[in-house]
Amino acid sequence: MSYHNVEILFVEDSQDDAALTIRALNKSGFNNKLHHVVNGAEALDFLFCRGNYIGRNPLEFPKLVLLDLKMPKVSGLQVLEKIKADPNLKSLPVVMLTSSNEGPDIEQCFAMGANSYIVKPVDSDNFFQAVKQIGLYWIDLSQPAL
Amino acid sequence: MNNKENDELFLANKEIALQNLQREKRAAELLIANKELAFQNKEKETRAQELIIANKELAFQNKEKEKRAEELIIANRELKSAEDDIRKLNDELERKVKERTSQLEIANKELEVVNKELESFSYSVSHDLRAPIRAIHGYTNILAEDYIDNFDAEGLKVFQAITRNSKKMGELIDDLLAFSKLGRKQVSFSAIDMNELLKIVQDEITEEDENVPNYVVNILPPAMGDKSLIKQVWINLISNAIKYSRHKPETIVEIGAYQKNDMIVYFVKDKGAGFDMQYYDKLFGVFQRLHSQEEFEGTGIGLAIVQKIVQRHNGLAWAESELDHGSCFYFSLPSIEQTLI
Repeated sequence: MSYHNVEILFVEDSQDDAALTIRALNKSGFNNKLHHVVNGAEALDFLFCRGNYIGRNPLEFPKLVLLDLKMPKVSGLQVLEKIKADPNLKSLPVVMLTSSNEGPDIEQCFAMGANSYIVKPVDSDNFFQAVKQIGLYWIDLSQPAL
Repeated sequence: MNNKENDELFLANKEIALQNLQREKRAAELLIANKELAFQNKEKETRAQELIIANKELAFQNKEKEKRAEELIIANRELKSAEDDIRKLNDELERKVKERTSQLEIANKELEVVNKELESFSYSVSHDLRAPIRAIHGYTNILAEDYIDNFDAEGLKVFQAITRNSKKMGELIDDLLAFSKLGRKQVSFSAIDMNELLKIVQDEITEEDENVPNYVVNILPPAMGDKSLIKQVWINLISNAIKYSRHKPETIVEIGAYQKNDMIVYFVKDKGAGFDMQYYDKLFGVFQRLHSQEEFEGTGIGLAIVQKIVQRHNGLAWAESELDHGSCFYFSLPSIEQTLI
């Protein structure tokens, strides 16, 4: 499997949220360069080119990490911490995705260097729009940092 | 007798007479001296008598003093024992205060734990209930986009019912979350210019609602409160006034205020559908509704939020209504003067 030119690293443990997000991205035209991993540990393997990703080119960075906050074992917060602590990865834009705007997570995420914090809308139209906007802004509009 | 003898006799007689006179004088003097002595003796007796009395008096006073001294010793002893009692009571009191304080501390800690539990409960409500409902929304949307042509009339009806209900459930979950969040939000008090705030609220409502009401707005005195929370109170009350006037030929919303003791009472009055005062106890309840969904849409969270916000400001929310003749909703907030004191 090739991980060449991955533009979006999508970290999401929920099968349903993943399917719906990927569908929304596909429908908005951001399908081609997305890579989906199902937990934080795998996300770190991908980013640091180890485990299953040992052959990946470490000089190739995605344009965006879409990171679910609440995941078992290695949480989104821990992945964020590792990314922002790494001198090579720290400029990588990270958009946090979460089911709720409860708790101290928002402050914590921004304090740790998250670039954006999106509460997944319950309403399907709003959800679609949110995903589309993320793609439009971070992939098409924003200049790549790396 | 010769003359010489006569002369001598005469002289002797004179001498005797003189001596007699002197004796008499001495006798008189002695008498006086005796009288004086007798008087002095009497005086002495009197003084002796007086001394006896004075002595007696002294002895009595000495006895009195001894008695008083004894009494003082007893009183001192009593005082000391009273002091001991007081010290004991104080110690007891201190012990009780300490005991109560530690009990309160424990209760506080328990409350904190319960609060934390509630917090994590609402967190999991938000997270765990939102996720599946989002999935249902998403998948029904896929059905609508890609498979709608495969439904027959009955299938379409069922599908729309699912969509409608899942939407409703999403709203309920979001409302519940918003409500539970209120209980934990820090209320930051500042002086609120209500006239200004009301204008902002009116503009926002006009943007969203196609039914623009006729406002009758009186001058509103300022009050102390959390501006963003009080704004929510106005939005909920005015939106309700507009919503429940929908079936009337015109929508009139009167807004005013008056001072009552230390509080400013604000009101929002409409001439809309009103409600039956016999169901008043349900009016501010969470998810309680006095109208059917078909008549007036809504989840029944708006007034519960109003009540919660006002309560967190140490104010009150209440209402008066007559079915079909409109309602008046009141809420009170601490006045600025009261807060300055």
